[in-house]
Amino acid sequence: MAMSHKSLSRSALPGQIAGLALVAPALLMIALFFILPLAGSVAASFRGAEGWGLGNFAKSWALYRRDILFTLFVVLVSVGLVALLSVAIGGYLTLGRNLRAAALLKWLYRWPLFVPFIVVGQVLRGFLAKGGLMNGALVHSGLIEPAAAMSWYDWRGLVFAFVWKQVPFVTLLLAGAMASVDRHTLEAAQNMGAGRLRILLQILVPQVAPTLWTGLILSFVTIMSVLSVPLMINAQNPTMITANISHRIIAYGDYGVANALGTISLLMTALFAWVYLRLNLRDKA
Amino acid sequence: MKLSLAALLALGVSVSALHAQELTVLTAGDQNMVDYINDYLGPKFEAANPGVTVRAVGTGPGDAGSQKILERFEAQDKAGTAVWDADVAVVHEKFAGPMVANGWLAAYRDQIATGKLVTRANADMALGADVKGRVMPMFNSQIALAYNPALVATPPASFDEIKTWAAANPKMFGYNGIKGGASGVGFVMGWVYAYGGNAEQLANGPFEAGQTANWTAAFDALKAFNANATLTPGNAGTLDALARGDIAIGPVWVDMFYSWKANGQLPEEFKLSLPAPGLPGQPMHYVIPEKAPQAELARKFVELATSPEVQAEGIVARFNWYPGIDAQHVQANLDPAVWDKLFLEITPEDIATKGRPFPIAPYNSAILEAYEAHMAQ
Repeated sequence: MAMSHKSLSRSALPGQIAGLALVAPALLMIALFFILPLAGSVAASFRGAEGWGLGNFAKSWALYRRDILFTLFVVLVSVGLVALLSVAIGGYLTLGRNLRAAALLKWLYRWPLFVPFIVVGQVLRGFLAKGGLMNGALVHSGLIEPAAAMSWYDWRGLVFAFVWKQVPFVTLLLAGAMASVDRHTLEAAQNMGAGRLRILLQILVPQVAPTLWTGLILSFVTIMSVLSVPLMINAQNPTMITANISHRIIAYGDYGVANALGTISLLMTALFAWVYLRLNLRDKA
Repeated sequence: MKLSLAALLALGVSVSALHAQELTVLTAGDQNMVDYINDYLGPKFEAANPGVTVRAVGTGPGDAGSQKILERFEAQDKAGTAVWDADVAVVHEKFAGPMVANGWLAAYRDQIATGKLVTRANADMALGADVKGRVMPMFNSQIALAYNPALVATPPASFDEIKTWAAANPKMFGYNGIKGGASGVGFVMGWVYAYGGNAEQLANGPFEAGQTANWTAAFDALKAFNANATLTPGNAGTLDALARGDIAIGPVWVDMFYSWKANGQLPEEFKLSLPAPGLPGQPMHYVIPEKAPQAELARKFVELATSPEVQAEGIVARFNWYPGIDAQHVQANLDPAVWDKLFLEITPEDIATKGRPFPIAPYNSAILEAYEAHMAQ
């Protein structure tokens, strides 16, 4: 209390320097191992055989525009389904009345979290084939005719894999957030006669929306970066951007277009994050 | 915990220093390539050269594996490293040319006894690049159509017949496109050989960028064909689909076909055929860097690897590849039954007339890109 403003500001400067010195190694690590390679890759995407320019982007668009749109489609459909299913599972865990079912669901839903993407791809390769396990089961149970069996080695297989893998992750975040919501508001709504679906959609979800969005953005970025699943299920035309980046390097040794495709996927994730931030800020304003 | 980690690291650093007689072999390709060296060739070489340890390093399947070796050489070259970290490397044909052009490879073929057992043209020219004297073929591999005789009574003998068959049997012809392995790439190259014109020039050069304009009709037809075909995920994906009955016929690597049969992953009655005007095959090459740490030992290793006995027992009998050195030197060392099995459905004559090289590197890239551009429309 007795300390004057003057003495405070005088002692703050060495403190700041000490603070900076403390974080400097961490900052240096980030600059050296994260920002520098990323900037290098982005810069290299503007460099082609004829020097600097937009040639790599023009080629990316000419050859891979369908793949870029395909990627956007697959990721958005996947993220949409992830949102739907994780809200449903999280909602049941929070509001479900059958405690045994909720306990079973809680035990079961996390399993895919521990399965690497490459294994998901490998498992689904056998599962989703024309003569695979899924169609076998459907035909056997009489749900479809044998002639109607189709391979899911296309966008459906990709969406299946991504949703299967990402739902537990988002649910894990969401169920935690839902559990910490004040139960009195839920009980009050229930006393006023609201059904469980209405409580979920109008009371619970709005309160955990920031967590849901965070989970979805992280899922968006994760799905954008998966190479193994498209390689295992659908390395065709069109396929996802990651498979094309790998193809440019392996078949042509062409890092320019590969970097340009990388920059394009970076822009796509940045755009998604920006939309989220805009929505978020508008809500807070 | 920390201590043991440090000890492990120290051990890792010191191991390379301790064993002066360690021969490092980098190999691109599937796990079977690493297995071949670790389980078969390495122990054989170690037995013949006491005190030497062979260390095989797999760099991954497909062209990506060879690309990694190329980049590793490039990095050491740029860094001006006096002694490189590999004695022998096994690379795909496509990468031998650039390595020779950069001056990274030793001219060793004339210095080893088995050098004169190779006369095939693809040991001198690799996709249009002169590699004579600096490579020894480890084996030759060939792409062919594998089919299920229960569903395909007589296999299509030409690309025209493939088109007709696929139209009559929608989705029963399968191949893996161009992004999932070389058996699909080879099918596309075969298609362009058949319908693109100037097949000889594609295979031997010279490269003319204007050629690409001649392929439009061929790729239009291929796009229409794709609508009738099933696109499979990868080389193994085509074999998987055949085994499951999802497709009835498709292009595969001959050695993979026989290995799958031997493992029981493909039914015994499945067969191979080579349609006219042909499908590509390729060798994989042994190369020795100019700055290999133990050039003498490396030459001895390749000499053993390309000896008629090893080519017969290891390459043909165990791994179902076609030999790298000329066949007549190998045949004498083989049980006729084993020889006949490999050449039963595709005769040596078929290979001579319908086994083609891949197009030279610039055409190879141009064809792949033209394919992508057509499919993007």
